[in-house]
Amino acid sequence: MKAGILLLNMCFPVLAGLMMLQGKREYTGKKLARRSLAAMVIAACFLVWNLTGDPLSLHLCSLGKDLPVYFHVDAIGKLFASVVTLVWILAICFAGEYMKKEQDQKRFFGFFLIVYGVLMGLCYAGNLITFYLFYEMMTLTTVPLVLHTRTREAITAGMKYLLYSLSGAYLVLFSTYMLNRYTTSLDFTPGGTLDLAAAEGHTTLILVCACLMILGFGVKAGMFPMHGWLSTAHPVAPAPASAVLSGVIVKMGVLGAIRVVYEIIGPEVIRGTWVQTVWLTLSLITVFMGSMLAYREKILKKRLAYSTVSQISYILFGLALLQPQALTGSLLHVVFHACIKSCLFLCAGAVIFCTGKTRTDQLTGIGKEMPVTIWCYTIASLALTGIPPASGFISKWYLAEGALSSGTSVFAVLGPVVLLISALLTAGYLLPVSMKGFLPGKEFDYAHLIRKEANLAMLIPVSMLSLLALLLGIFCGPLVQYVEKIVEVML
Amino acid sequence: MSQYWMTVAILLPIIGGILVKVIPFPNQKIMKIYLECVMVVTSLLVFLLAWNRPEGTLEVVHFMQGLSISFRIDGMSMVFSVLIAVLWPLAMLYSFEYMEREQHQRVFFLFYSVTYGVTLGIAYASDMLSMYFFYELLTLVTVPLIMHSLSRQAIHATRKYLYYSLGGAAFALIGIVFLMVYGSQLDFVLGGVLDLAKAGEKKQVLLVVYLIACLGFGVKAAMFPMGSWLPDAGVAPTPVTALLHAVAVVKAGVFAIIRLTYYSFGTDFLRGTWVQAVVMALAMFSVVYGCTRAVMERHIKRRLAYSTISNLSYIIFSAMIMTPLGLVGALTHMVCHAVMKICSFLCAGAIMHQTGKTFIDDLNGYAKKMPVVFGCFLVSALGLMGVPGLAGFISKWNIAQAAVDSGRVQAYLGIGCLLISAFLTSIYMMSIVFRAYFPGKEFHYEELGEIRDPSWRMCVPLVLFAAGVAGLGLGSAPLVRFFTDVANGLY
Repeated sequence: MKAGILLLNMCFPVLAGLMMLQGKREYTGKKLARRSLAAMVIAACFLVWNLTGDPLSLHLCSLGKDLPVYFHVDAIGKLFASVVTLVWILAICFAGEYMKKEQDQKRFFGFFLIVYGVLMGLCYAGNLITFYLFYEMMTLTTVPLVLHTRTREAITAGMKYLLYSLSGAYLVLFSTYMLNRYTTSLDFTPGGTLDLAAAEGHTTLILVCACLMILGFGVKAGMFPMHGWLSTAHPVAPAPASAVLSGVIVKMGVLGAIRVVYEIIGPEVIRGTWVQTVWLTLSLITVFMGSMLAYREKILKKRLAYSTVSQISYILFGLALLQPQALTGSLLHVVFHACIKSCLFLCAGAVIFCTGKTRTDQLTGIGKEMPVTIWCYTIASLALTGIPPASGFISKWYLAEGALSSGTSVFAVLGPVVLLISALLTAGYLLPVSMKGFLPGKEFDYAHLIRKEANLAMLIPVSMLSLLALLLGIFCGPLVQYVEKIVEVML
Repeated sequence: MSQYWMTVAILLPIIGGILVKVIPFPNQKIMKIYLECVMVVTSLLVFLLAWNRPEGTLEVVHFMQGLSISFRIDGMSMVFSVLIAVLWPLAMLYSFEYMEREQHQRVFFLFYSVTYGVTLGIAYASDMLSMYFFYELLTLVTVPLIMHSLSRQAIHATRKYLYYSLGGAAFALIGIVFLMVYGSQLDFVLGGVLDLAKAGEKKQVLLVVYLIACLGFGVKAAMFPMGSWLPDAGVAPTPVTALLHAVAVVKAGVFAIIRLTYYSFGTDFLRGTWVQAVVMALAMFSVVYGCTRAVMERHIKRRLAYSTISNLSYIIFSAMIMTPLGLVGALTHMVCHAVMKICSFLCAGAIMHQTGKTFIDDLNGYAKKMPVVFGCFLVSALGLMGVPGLAGFISKWNIAQAAVDSGRVQAYLGIGCLLISAFLTSIYMMSIVFRAYFPGKEFHYEELGEIRDPSWRMCVPLVLFAAGVAGLGLGSAPLVRFFTDVANGLY
């Protein structure tokens, strides 16, 4: 019974999406959105069913000899699955209104649902083979979302996204081939499954594999030097798609890194080696570089995409420290950043939808035109910057504390410093929009001001996400406890 | 079953094919039904022979002491014969519609049918000389197929094919002569037939001879630098390119190399020598070379032909690992690649047949007009890229496992080549898919005119092969188990 629910949670959205793609009749966007929303609510019910109760394992089938497709619902998978579902439902609400102005709505909603099913598979995957299977499927099914508008720019971006992601996936595959030989099994087990007898004398090889894995999953997570696709692909997609791409899908690279480092290779193998140094260095470079690029960028959605580059590397930095508090901070930041960044992208989408403005320098006085949207934007910006008591503060606090007590010589100090500088930059690139928006200055032409506020279908998701960004910080107790329980098992 | 059925299986399509020219068929339709019947009966016979394997060797023609043409069915024969028996009737069905607009249909069908018998001869040959006989015969009977259109280009391509193949076979003959002198017999025995007492003192000479013979057979397998005939031979009608230049002829080359390596010289004799390193390096280079050329090529059939060059070298690379696992990898890829490549070639043929377009740049937007053909093409493209759940992933997995298991650094590099090639594959296949599915915003579908999917005779093989790609990817375990038995000499 429970296994059936687990499968339904993955298959139902995929089937619903396929039916939507294959449907012959042309529906209006609103109808499609309503149907997608209904499908999502049903899927969310399955999810809730899965979340309650004991961990569940399911051997589905075998692709070949020693290639089992295996699902295992564990605490970390539940965390990711809940975040995905939350963002997804709100994004679909938003899309119903936003997609009015776009074409091919059927394709958009169809693939939107399919991607959700695939992501559920990714969260529940119990071994590396299954994870890789769904990881590739995620890449392929998100491509139509990226190139949705079918402009030349969008199609190039789609191709770029695909090739970057695949190159990352092939790095992962290479290491999978190798690790299959040196592990007892590829099932995710906290503490790692390295076969110490077989691995004896092959330490270098295993470390190289670990490094390739991290780099490979780092592609999805936008880690330097493979971050180039993110700022191209995320902004060209329609706003609801960019929200989930930036808010959720990049996190799957993070999930991959967690699975491999903490549950296949084992943190003890990597601790103190050059792999950890490389990982820490790359993530810190990315944190700084992403913020700098965002600071210089003038197009709002691109700026947000660069911000994602920087913020995801906060998470990666926390993972690389291999320290309980830092890991807690990372997992918390996964949740917070998902809410915040989706909120920001949806705000940017609402602005584009209502006013058609895309560049930050056009946004003078936007707060007078769309006060609610920009208020939500401001709250989310403050949360991302890390102003207490909003949520970003909590995760950054844990990250900094973890770094200071991690015992990694240089990085223990350098890490928090870079995080602080980046936080300043975050304030620097996000808040001017609000400041200019609400305080347009004396010369602003108040006479011609027209209220262009987005309607409820857009405002509800945006305001809910911004409230979450605030409230998760204030009432963070249960979440922190839940995450600490996960961390306890893993480290 | 009686041994004589082997002769029947070989002669049936040969005589049946010749009769096409003799019997005065009242119309084309009856001739086609007749031909299809011959194909199906032959294939059924092959299945029966594989199911109910006759023991022992059947000597058909006796030349002189130790030289004869004789047949025997062992594991390798079963794999190769069943593979072509599955493909041939479907390709024949496809060719009925494809050839409708061409001239000299009878000659075409005659040789197309005869080639089936000759290829079966290669599969069933029990010793080096019998195989050589059919190998040369294969070159000759495929000549009329390649120069079918009788254009300048076709004749030029045929001449090239003929010189390359005959030259290669001549080199291979040198190997056979040495085998006669230094081997205990010419029959294929897993593990080799070299008389080690005699061969020991001439080891270096024998290794050189092996290299020569291997490269000789490598001509048909289109290994670099002898592979340039293959893209040129693409001027042949598509059923020929699809079946012969993706499966039967080129795989006969690979089959011969496996026979030479595993069943004649023996892997114990060759493993760890410089020859292994040289051939492996050549194969690795061909893998990358073929893909790179494919990316550069704009003609759809030539692009697929270069892709074949690359994929054939996967098989050779895997065979050159010279362990049972390596042979398993080689056999898996032989089967998987056959299904994937014939599928993509037949799709390319269907596109050319329906639209008259042969260059990739002209394929914009056709996916909407021909959903079945492009759907199948997409499946085969994803398969070739190695997306899990499809055939290519399984074979790459097996090859990689063999390479990792061998513990040779060169083999690790080979895995790297495989993945670079997989990445390039995604470039050259997905660029076609992108064009066809997402032609860009300013594209008007009306410009394409009345183009639609071909009739069932073309679509049925396509859909079956696409289903085969998925089937092999999802349930390859029994097949791989069988290959493992073959590689361990149980058959």
